[in-house]
Amino acid sequence: MTSVPADVALRMEPGRRERVRELVRRHPRAVFGTAVAAVIAVSIVAVGLGSVGIAPGETIGIVVRRLVGLDLGVTWTPATEAIVWELRLPRVLTAATVGAGLAVAGATFQGLLRNPLADPYVLGTASGAGLGAAIALVLPIRIVFIEFGLVHAFAFVGALASVTVVYRLSRLSPWSGMTNIVLTGYAVGALLAAGLSMAMYLSGSSLRQIFAFILGGFEAASWNRLALAVPLVALGSLAILFRARALNGLLLGEEAAGHLGINVPRERALLLALGSLVTAAAVAVSGLIGFVGLVVPHVVRLTVGPNARAVVPLSAAVGAALLIAADLGARLLGDIPVGVVTALFGAPFFLLLLRRAQSGYEL
Amino acid sequence: MTLTVVLALAACTAAAPPSPSPSPGSAAPFPLTLTDDEGTQVTIPTEPRRIVSLTPATTEILFKLGVGERIVAKVEDLALYPPEAGSIPDVAKFGSVDLEKVVALEPDLIIAGGNSFTPPEAIEKLRSLGLPTLVVYAPTVVKVFSDIELTGRAVGREQAAADLAAAMRAEFDQVAAATGSVDRPRVFYEIDATGAIWGPADESFLAEMISLAGGDPITTGSPDKFDIPLERLIQADPEVILLGDAAYGVTAEQVAARPGWNVMTAVKTGAIRPIDDIVVTRPGPRLTEGLRALLGALHPQLVPVPAAP
Repeated sequence: MTSVPADVALRMEPGRRERVRELVRRHPRAVFGTAVAAVIAVSIVAVGLGSVGIAPGETIGIVVRRLVGLDLGVTWTPATEAIVWELRLPRVLTAATVGAGLAVAGATFQGLLRNPLADPYVLGTASGAGLGAAIALVLPIRIVFIEFGLVHAFAFVGALASVTVVYRLSRLSPWSGMTNIVLTGYAVGALLAAGLSMAMYLSGSSLRQIFAFILGGFEAASWNRLALAVPLVALGSLAILFRARALNGLLLGEEAAGHLGINVPRERALLLALGSLVTAAAVAVSGLIGFVGLVVPHVVRLTVGPNARAVVPLSAAVGAALLIAADLGARLLGDIPVGVVTALFGAPFFLLLLRRAQSGYEL
Repeated sequence: MTLTVVLALAACTAAAPPSPSPSPGSAAPFPLTLTDDEGTQVTIPTEPRRIVSLTPATTEILFKLGVGERIVAKVEDLALYPPEAGSIPDVAKFGSVDLEKVVALEPDLIIAGGNSFTPPEAIEKLRSLGLPTLVVYAPTVVKVFSDIELTGRAVGREQAAADLAAAMRAEFDQVAAATGSVDRPRVFYEIDATGAIWGPADESFLAEMISLAGGDPITTGSPDKFDIPLERLIQADPEVILLGDAAYGVTAEQVAARPGWNVMTAVKTGAIRPIDDIVVTRPGPRLTEGLRALLGALHPQLVPVPAAP
């Protein structure tokens, strides 16, 4: 890719996008604050709505009571409280965590591999996690440890194992580089996908559960699962944000990054590991949810430019808001797979954004 | 004949209108702890009044036991039975449950389907919210009877359920006795053939039902896979083909016209017969009807066996 250095491209941009980027550059906190406010607003709507109608007053009363112990003088039944507190809230927060994690991982992999088609699953993560989950479901063992079963553990391990294999294999090749790792990821992913298909063929009555994992979703969200996923996603994403300078440098190419004083092999390995960790945590709680990790970073870059310092946190916020909204749509439409909703509404929106982009767009 | 008396008694018990007040003697067993078909201990604190039925067979059993009016929600059933169940709202589909709606109904008993019919994660979630959830799964005919008894105990209708199960057992025994010495035709039960050909697996419920009705089931050669290669089917040479997919518009003429099928004895002799798939496969009180339907299709000369009144 013959990329114009990011800041040069930025200066060439005319018109409104230029003004937006200028605004972001001057007031990064304000822009990020707005994005977080949007996430909170979407969350409130998503907790308030569902297949059972609950008065907004009751919803607010329950959440305020459980969060800060304040009694607002509203009454509700235990069933209503269970719906709001045990079903909807963990589900909304899980969607937010997964959306944020996948979008951050996508932004990381796209920047690192300098490939616009990279997504969190580019290094065989999806097939690795899918195969892990399938093996766990086919095995006649059921272990559950604080609501984390073998399925989640195997999915997590499978995702990380496939990335490790891809990374090792790509380093064996004499011509090191990012194209190599992408192609290795593709090949290993294809191999694991074949294994997954075989496991599905042999799975008998577990087939539906494997299929549900591949489609992804938040039906099984719970506080305990959320509590295990949040630290991994949050710490991983923060660590990526702290390496934004390296990510920006790598965007210019490895040689240029080296000249900027970045320890390229080390940073590359670290960013790959962090992105994979965040992806694996997200996949373990929610299954394979596509689209968010690929498209959200592009939407953010189209709006605010390529600086990783802005792209990483904003991707997290937009990814969270998008998945909360998509899951709400999925619930209201009768629990259809959330991936269907994200793609159905996200893809046309993304196409529109691409058309409206006034100038060329580079990572 | 004592059997007829037993059947008549069972029918009376089952058909008796539910008494408005709690039936005498039903106060005693609750709280009640039962072991469900997945080995989970389920405690039911009081006699259930608000039941969520997540399998079609459970809906049929509850109506048969006279507690149909206690069902507050059910799984979607494309072959709904009995018709009175039509007014009960659906809160689940094959493979998914609307947990919010279930919780909002404040049920005091949920009966779910095992072997992933109800998603295991949904069952886990319902239990974590403190809702008694009993899982039923009947891979064999004997298990159908014990599930009827289990369901009866869970809803405080132990005696009615025991009578129903006893009557069904008696009828199955009677058919088994009648078919004990007949020639067993090789039977292929077609579940579906729109893509691959689907028939009974070796250890399936369907294979067992066909054997009980005096047939020699042609199976897929695998304990749990339901697709059968055409080559295997031709080699097995069915003498009778039963069309479980007749309700979806499959006819004997279509089967005869399929390439390669004309070499089978059943096609040559025209022994291709439609059958009501629901009564043959649904593990509920109408299973005796299913057995009679199979018997009629395989050994019409043995019909009528003394049918349930």
